[in-house]
Amino acid sequence: MKFSKAFRQALNMVLHSRLRSWLTILGIVIGVAAVIAIVSMSQELERDVTGQFDSLGADLLTLTAGSSRAAGFSPGRPGGFPGGATSSEEDIVLGASDVQVLKGIPDIITINTQISGSADLYYVAERGSVRITGVDEDTWSRVANIDLANGRTLGPADTNVIVIGGRIADGFFDKRLGINQAVTIEGRLFRIVGIIDDQSTSVYMPLDAAYGVLEDKEKGVYDTIILRVKDEDRIDEIINEVEKRLRLSRHVTEKEMDFTISSNQEAQKQRSEMMGSMTTFLTAIAAVALLVGAVGVMNSMFTSVLEKTKEIGIMKAIGARNGDILKIFLMNAALIGLIGGILGIILGILLSGFLPYLMGETAGMMRMFGSGGTTSAKVILLGIGMSVVLGVLSGLVPAWKASRLKPVDALRYE
Amino acid sequence: MNQHEVLLRLKNVSKVYQMGEVEVPALKEVSVDIMSGDFVAVIGASGSGKSTMMNLLGCLDLPTSGRIFLKGKDITRMPESDLATLRGGTIGFIFQQYHLIPSITAFENVALPLEFLEYGDAETTVKVKRLFSLVGLNSKMNNLPTQLSGGEQQRVSIARSLAADPEVILADEPTGALDSVTGRNILELLHKLWKEEGKTVIVVSHDLRLAKYARTIIELKDGRIKDVRRRR
Ligand SMILES: Nc1ncnc2c1ncn2[C@@H]1O[C@H](COP(=O)(O)OP(=O)(O)OP(=O)(O)O)[C@@H](O)[C@H]1O
Ligand SMILES: [Mg+2]
Repeated sequence: MKFSKAFRQALNMVLHSRLRSWLTILGIVIGVAAVIAIVSMSQELERDVTGQFDSLGADLLTLTAGSSRAAGFSPGRPGGFPGGATSSEEDIVLGASDVQVLKGIPDIITINTQISGSADLYYVAERGSVRITGVDEDTWSRVANIDLANGRTLGPADTNVIVIGGRIADGFFDKRLGINQAVTIEGRLFRIVGIIDDQSTSVYMPLDAAYGVLEDKEKGVYDTIILRVKDEDRIDEIINEVEKRLRLSRHVTEKEMDFTISSNQEAQKQRSEMMGSMTTFLTAIAAVALLVGAVGVMNSMFTSVLEKTKEIGIMKAIGARNGDILKIFLMNAALIGLIGGILGIILGILLSGFLPYLMGETAGMMRMFGSGGTTSAKVILLGIGMSVVLGVLSGLVPAWKASRLKPVDALRYE
Repeated sequence: MNQHEVLLRLKNVSKVYQMGEVEVPALKEVSVDIMSGDFVAVIGASGSGKSTMMNLLGCLDLPTSGRIFLKGKDITRMPESDLATLRGGTIGFIFQQYHLIPSITAFENVALPLEFLEYGDAETTVKVKRLFSLVGLNSKMNNLPTQLSGGEQQRVSIARSLAADPEVILADEPTGALDSVTGRNILELLHKLWKEEGKTVIVVSHDLRLAKYARTIIELKDGRIKDVRRRR
């Protein structure tokens, strides 16, 4: 039998199949969709991570209050403080004395103090929650790695002005926000001087203004201090130096260290490691989904062979060879795979567009996906190829069984 | 028409069905020659082994012992793929239950044997159309089997049995599921094929009218040949 004729028979079989077979296809659809969504997401992630790595200065250090060991994960403080609760999270802060110490380190060329929190931003009659970062306006331009879509960064002598994230400008409110427009935050009027070329909902403002807006922040207390070093190759050395000096001034031992200093290089590495293990986890889920789909196809194929036993007998009686029957049933399985694959890809593309929204802003890096449309042709081909191969593999045994049926036995089957 | 040449030969053929522990002997040491161009009626009581013999003659099944020769070739020693090609090109089947494939049209059903033999599309169309006019069903070519009456379905199945231009037509109770008028039409059609197309026709039937058409009557009883009557 010619390939094209066998294909028509197989297609006919698919088109006349019962609801059950279509449900089987659903198994493949879900598996492929999961794979497509995950692969295109992790591709995007990779691009994003490397992009940020390039843009973020490798010569920047971030200093935050609180020990990475003490905060959160470990059940008790190491060593402990005899005499009780002398130290709660609120007490551990970064302040002017720390800045003074940092200023004494010659390797540090820029110091930028920051505080952050969230507040409501009003524009005309609309309102939205945004992330406020108060920065030292004098030095911000030297530590901030931002691309401006429009306007300028903050500078010395700025007071009631802000730089906003791209998402606030476009898509947050009914009307687009532009340069020199005024918005209200916590009852204060601010003028927009810059718009960042990203998808964030961040607002940057001078430190003094931020103390007014973020009520729970005390003046002279900082959440984060960004440091810029002279020589990025010596960054580890400098970290050690900063740690040593701060421990001394804050009267803490190495074990009790109540501040954290991290380089962007390190943060970047951690992030991509986290993303990597997440991708592995999701891929495992997708693989299980695919496996379930394959078992479904095999099951459906076995039932289909049973259902078609009589037709197989008829075909053999009128001259079908074993190979012809094998061809028809394998092609049927491949077609089921193909249809499942195509539907799965459509679903997967939709999914990879929506997933970031489902995950919300918590996964900060994920915001990028909102822009969508990132499923590459390579991924699509991979999805289709995979599902067809899967279909054929799961159809192999049933098809072979069908082809070996004896014509008399098959004809007698009811 | 009646060339005296042996088309099919059964030689000491026995068939035993295995039903679990029980062995059911359906044919016992049957030997018979069927001549090319003959019109054969196989008769006998229910359970006498008629269908079993037809399946063996049509290479749908293999005997437990004995030899079957088709045009001098021993089919019991042929590999399955050769057997399939032989079935497709030499033998045409007509079944009591028509056995059309329900999901494709009458036309496609008749074309199917030709597809297995890898005929080209143009040749297939010409052949199939000719067959539909031969069985008088030109207007219903594009109907699905379910859109045809029993008699019409049997005509389609006759057309299908003729598609690959086989030398022998095997029909196991072709009129069994039809009323007597439709049944007679089918028998007349088979007779026409024998007379005008020169086919060898072997029919199993309880229909006594068949005796009128048949040149040779093989009577089976309990798996053995009781009698073979030939008209000159
Ligand atoms: N697949 C089978 N398994 C077991 N026994 C079988 C099988 N097919 C036929 N038989 C037995 O073999 C014997 C002959 O059966 P066969 O079908 O050849 O009879 P028949 O002459 O065609 O009868 P009918 O006129 O009822 O069609 C019967 O006893 C039947 O029960
Ligand atoms: Mg019978």
